[in-house]
Order: sequence, then structure tokens, then C-alpha cells
Amino acid sequence: MDLHTEMLLEEYRDAIPVFEKMEAEVVGTLREALQRNGLIVMAIESRIKTEESLAGKLALKGAKYATLSDITDVLGARIVTFYTDDVDRIAAMVEQLFEIDWKNSVDKRMLHQLDSFGYNSLHYICKMPGYEYRFELQLRTTLQHAWASINHDIGYKTGVEIPREYLRRINRLAGILEMADDEFSRIRTEITDYRRRVQQLVQNGKLDDVQLDGDTFNSYLQVRPFDALNKRIAAINQAEIEEVPLMRYLRVFVAFGCKTLGDVQRLVKQYSEDAYRLARHQLGNTDLDIISSGVGVQNICIVCILAMGGGKLGLVRFFDAINGHNTQNEAIAELTYEQAKNIQLL
Amino acid sequence: MKTEIVRNGEQLIAKFAGRLDTPAAVQTAEDVKPLLEAEKKELILDCTDLEYISSSGLRIFLSVRKEASAHGSKVVVKNINDDIRQVFMMTGFISLFEIQ
Repeated sequence: MDLHTEMLLEEYRDAIPVFEKMEAEVVGTLREALQRNGLIVMAIESRIKTEESLAGKLALKGAKYATLSDITDVLGARIVTFYTDDVDRIAAMVEQLFEIDWKNSVDKRMLHQLDSFGYNSLHYICKMPGYEYRFELQLRTTLQHAWASINHDIGYKTGVEIPREYLRRINRLAGILEMADDEFSRIRTEITDYRRRVQQLVQNGKLDDVQLDGDTFNSYLQVRPFDALNKRIAAINQAEIEEVPLMRYLRVFVAFGCKTLGDVQRLVKQYSEDAYRLARHQLGNTDLDIISSGVGVQNICIVCILAMGGGKLGLVRFFDAINGHNTQNEAIAELTYEQAKNIQLL
Repeated sequence: MKTEIVRNGEQLIAKFAGRLDTPAAVQTAEDVKPLLEAEKKELILDCTDLEYISSSGLRIFLSVRKEASAHGSKVVVKNINDDIRQVFMMTGFISLFEIQ
């Protein structure tokens, strides 16, 4: 090891606490900014180069670096995204967060010729305000990350040069994964468009045009179709309404044979009055002043089951569907059946 | 109204006895505080000897559930009598809790 390398390693050892502090700040800044921008990523990774790894690098091209500040990857961070579109969004975010050394930053996605495939990743050399040293930030998708990791494992593990034929096969896979990345992004965009269209239809009241499924039922719940009934029920005892999740009722409406949101809406309209009567009968003689936002839809389902002739068994199945199978559900069904009978809902 | 907190491995059990009405709710809310702070535990609300629950009692159960969800814990309500079952049902909270 020459004297210059020895000096750089000495400087590196002294600077480790600075790099550790910078690492924590960089990762914290990235996490906070991703959350603020609503970007969900697969992983944020970081590492400080080990002395052994740095010594190896210096042995190969130590003369290139006058001081430790010239080495830009002592601290390396990586964001692994789910979608290829997110790489560009995060790149724009990173440009606002750090000072970018454009001269040394590389967009490997742009380096490929039309007929070549391989390592695709965006490398930014960044500077965090208040620090002398720069750091490297890689942005890549999960599939690019998988390819790069396997390629690294195959290529460097043995230290033996890989025959051209195998390299060609590895690069062919990069092409396939690039197509898969694009397809995932396209699918996400199309699903987002579909959700937007459904929300538009729901908001415009064109419920018969919307097929009933998890996505559409969720959009339907956002227009709060049970609010009016819940408020009437709450008024019985001037109760407050506690919000609870209602997605579990989807399977009940499917079991009722609803095919569209229009079908659901018709049931809501048809049975709201009886659902209110049931609630008034149950709550009227109590001083319970808290109800859940599920009480309206729960009672609609109960009166619908009874109107369809489902009887006690139908109620047991209903409570099994919303509470999970439980021996207690039989007792609840029995009780509900008797209350419904008292107000001639049968 | 009495509330006893029992630890049993990964379970934290609150044993309620008596009537959980509005006057009793202040002390009960204090008594269940260990459940609100528990991390990744199974929280059992044992109602074997609970005779009655009011809205204030329901609010305590709801706050336990809310905190449990934030701390990665799970809540199970055990052995409720017919009257309490009816309260859970007619307020629409029956589907919110796992009741055994």
C-alpha cells in the first residue's frame, strides 16, 4: 500500500463519525420527503463503504483521488421503487432536497444503445448542506434491483470472467424486466383511470353503470350512502356516531345478488325505513348515546334478510359474514329475530 | 364496579365485575390504562362478571380497541351476557370487536 493510499484511509477513519451522522440525516430527509409527497417505495437502503472495500478501490484507481472529498461513494444510499414512473418523480424530489453534482451523476437508462439492454439505474452524486463530503444516491425499480443484485452475484462472486454467451442471456433478461416494469406502470395508470371514472359515475349518481366490486364499493362508501339513516338513528338518543369500517358489508350485498351499485342503492332506499324502525325499537328505551356508523347498513341488511325470507338462519349467516364465524352469532340472531317480530317486520 | 388486570404471557386480561355505568366509568378508564399502553399483546376484556355496560363503558372499550390497533395489539371480548350482547348489537359495534 502506498503512502497516498495510507493517507486517504487515515482520513477515512477520522471521518467515519461524520459519515454516520450524514447517513442518518440523508435517510431521514429522504423518508420524510417521500412521506410528504405520498410516495410509497419498496426500500430505502444505505451503507458506509467498509475500509476493506475502500482500500480495494484505492488500489485500482487511488491516484485519481487527491483527498477523501473526491471519492463520492463512501456513503451510498439507494431508493428501490415499485414503479418505473416513480424513479422520475423521486429524482425530481431529490433535486429539490440536495445539491446535485451533475457532472458526476449518471442516468444509466440513457446510456443504452437501441439494441442493448442491461443495468438501468439513476445515480446522483449529491451534497447535503453542511457537509464537506458528497454521497451517491441510486434510484431503481424493484425489478432493476433484482436484476442488478443477481447480476452482481453471478458476475463477481467467483471472480472468474463470465463467457459471452452467459452475459448475453443475463442481458436478455434485463430486456424482459424492462418490459415488465413498463407494463406494471401502465397497469397502475389504467387502474387509477378506472377508479377516477368510477368515482365520477358514483358522484354523478349513475350507479347502474357501475359494477359492484371492492373498488367501486369503496368509492360508493365515500359518498356516504348511510349517513342520512345513521343520523336519523342517532337522533333517537342524541347519540354521537363513531366511524367504523364498512367494507365488510360488500360480501353481504353480493350475497343479496347485487350486481351494480344501483342494485345496492335500491336496497338502501327500499329498506331504510324499516331499518330505522328496528333501531328505534332497539334504542328507544335505552340511554345509549353512542352508535357506530355501521348501525344503519347493519339494520338495512337485517330487514332485507327477513324480507327475503331468510329467517333466523339467514341472520346467523349475516352475522357470520360481518363478525366472523362465532357461536355467539346464533344468540345475536335469535335476539334480533325476536325484536323484528315485535315490530312486525317478518 | 371492579377491574382487575392480569398478565398471562402475551395476554393482558382485564376482568370486569359489576355494572360499568357512567359513575363507574371514570375509575374503570383509569384501571384499563395498562391495556392502552401494551405493545403487541392480546388484550382480553373478560366480561364474565360484568352485569351491565353503558355508553361510557362502550367508549372505554372503543378506546382500548383504538389504542390496541395503534400498538399492534388485538382485542378480544369474552363471555358477555345477553344484555351486553344486545348493547353491542343495537349500537352497531358488534362487528367491530372479536367476541367470544
